[in-house]
Amino acid sequence: MRRFGGYIAIMLALLLSACAKREEPLYQQQLLTFGTLVEISIWGADKSLAQHASSQVGADLQQMHNDWHAWHDSPLVRMNRALAAGESVTVPVSILPLVQKSITLSRASEGMFNPAIGRLIKLWGFEQDDLPIGPPPDLKAIDTLTKQRPGMNDLILDGSQLRSTNPAVQLDFGAIAKGYGVDLAIARLRELGVQNAIINAGGNLRAIGKHGDRPWRIGIRNPRGAGVLASIETRGDESILTSGDYERFFEYQGKRYHHIIDPRSGCPATGVISVTVIADDAATADAASTALFVAGPQRWRETAKKLGITQVMLVDDKGRMVATPAMAARLRFEVDPPPKVTVTPL
Amino acid sequence: MMTRADWVVVALALALLPCLYFTYWGSSTQGEEVRIMVGGKEQMAISLRQDRRLTIAGALGVSIIDIHDGKARFTTSPCRGKQCIHTGWLGRGGESAACLPNRVSMVVVGREQRFDSVVF
Repeated sequence: MRRFGGYIAIMLALLLSACAKREEPLYQQQLLTFGTLVEISIWGADKSLAQHASSQVGADLQQMHNDWHAWHDSPLVRMNRALAAGESVTVPVSILPLVQKSITLSRASEGMFNPAIGRLIKLWGFEQDDLPIGPPPDLKAIDTLTKQRPGMNDLILDGSQLRSTNPAVQLDFGAIAKGYGVDLAIARLRELGVQNAIINAGGNLRAIGKHGDRPWRIGIRNPRGAGVLASIETRGDESILTSGDYERFFEYQGKRYHHIIDPRSGCPATGVISVTVIADDAATADAASTALFVAGPQRWRETAKKLGITQVMLVDDKGRMVATPAMAARLRFEVDPPPKVTVTPL
Repeated sequence: MMTRADWVVVALALALLPCLYFTYWGSSTQGEEVRIMVGGKEQMAISLRQDRRLTIAGALGVSIIDIHDGKARFTTSPCRGKQCIHTGWLGRGGESAACLPNRVSMVVVGREQRFDSVVF
């Protein structure tokens, strides 16, 4: 009879362990800051540390949003005013690294990533939190701004002194600021002792470490239709980021106008509906995904090479999917049947 | 010949089965509940198993969130751009949507998250 008791105890223990909800040392927080939805996931840290770290990150991001906003009254707005007047300005410490990084990436992308087109972005109305409603801007107005060819090459940066040789230059860091903000947020988490985390600021994602004994699993949204198209497991510290025509857009008389403006035409870039890149840091991934989107189906490989990006997936406006070998090897499709992917070296 | 102890073991093993089923096969990656936040603060966590319509008061006005067939979506929103509505149905753990102007956001939480995060 004693042995029965033993059996029963073992079976009960098994029963309990099977049904108990496993407590995971995962802390997740969502914040509405930085003009977007920010998700913070922290694995394996003490709860009080995780809470403290995410509130720090939230405060940091809000500060960056205030400093870098292109059209609210911000240090950047004051700087833009001076640049338009042809004056030399001292770039505030909070903006300087963003300016430096933007100049480098804009040159490397041969202007496909161009944060100097703030006026065009404003003309289209994509600088605000809420989306514009049609009609699209007057073609003449677009043409006038485009012909002035504002670019990062018009800027002369000497230490922290900046001036522009082209009065049409207005800086809008919309295509890099969130990525760069995520990089700073990750640095903050590390400084506070967090080893395993994801920060996803409106689709601008960087992950460090792991989710316990497995890698972090990141979903990539389907550019057409809801849900997830594919997933990628992260390797250590890297950024996975997508630029898509579905993120921010408005429709007017049945036509879609999205937020990724081609500096050459002054209009939303055509030929591509989404570009996903993996890079070491989120600022580079952010700028690169925009640059490749603008470069289009014919030129994206060349732009990727110049930016040193080897992991790319691109969906063109016919729904055809292309990936570099390094990216294709990591994609796991989450739709059935899986789509056809053309694997193409750079 | 089965002893009483054997019967107990068999009974317990059978009792264990449903647990195993739910742990390993029971649509473990399907979202189980949706957490709805206003201004980043959690307002409610609602099961996705029961169809219903939720009315959420945000900064601009009322957002309507529908839950149907194990999925949730924004259906009506007072914002101008309707980006939240364009996001469509969310059903798998880790998927999220937000209406920034109205400061309403939601995330699907599953027993086992299929994705730790989603880029869009």
